[in-house]
Amino acid sequence: MSIFKSFGVNASGMTAERYRMDIISQNVANANTTRTEDGTPYKRKVVTFEEKTLNPTEFGTIFAKSMGQDVGDGVKVSGVYEDNTEEMKKVYDPSHPDADEDGYVWYPNVNIVTEMTNMIDSSRAYEANATAFTASKTIAMKGLEIGRT
Amino acid sequence: MINTGVFNYVNVLDKAADGSWLKNEAISNNIANVDTPNYKRQDVSFESELQQALKSSKYGTLDEKISNLNQGNNLSKIEAKTYTDSAEYSYRLDGNNVDIDNENVELASNQIKYNALVQAIDEDFINLKTVIK
Repeated sequence: MSIFKSFGVNASGMTAERYRMDIISQNVANANTTRTEDGTPYKRKVVTFEEKTLNPTEFGTIFAKSMGQDVGDGVKVSGVYEDNTEEMKKVYDPSHPDADEDGYVWYPNVNIVTEMTNMIDSSRAYEANATAFTASKTIAMKGLEIGRT
Repeated sequence: MINTGVFNYVNVLDKAADGSWLKNEAISNNIANVDTPNYKRQDVSFESELQQALKSSKYGTLDEKISNLNQGNNLSKIEAKTYTDSAEYSYRLDGNNVDIDNENVELASNQIKYNALVQAIDEDFINLKTVIK
């Protein structure tokens, strides 16, 4: 139980949500990219989160956890993956330079509506973290006021 | 001064403030993990423990109960503890049971509670100061 722990917890939440927002922006920006470095259309990217525990093997962490005095250290991005389940979009457009021999162009599997929904979700989660940060800050300042008057 | 019990109430309020602080950490962690798959929310049980300690006491008045709590290591027995709240039904597909609105409400009420506890501690010290003067 350290003073600035909850600050770090919410900071990690804000970092993770901002990162997710970056990846969503990348998806939206590349919604019509038909050619990437390797010649294939852009693939939608997905961020995954996992709970963060600093020094999970350290004695102090395990002890605090088993004593019910530890709440974890926030969240971290465990990885960015390409979405291989969603099908690429096939559009007939023979005049397109990236069209195959049958005249079809493959467009990225990015669904703008999904991305926008995720973006709102991410933005709200970021705000919630910012609110919790302010709350932690306020009570920490309040604690310092003991004995002032 | 050491054994007069003037700090009895402060000691108990201090414990409660510790519990409130830990609860703030738990809520912060829940909010940070609002999008983590299979995360289960954590909570702190303190009020119930303190209530139990005060209720089971054979003493009648609050003053006697508080003074009894300060005897020996009675006070160190009531410790705020975190627990994983997996019992709460998860309505989400990703197995996470954090409800962001609920957490925000808890955060706000916990903040007010902490402020109230700190104020109570402060009032106690002000009273002492008045007497010493």
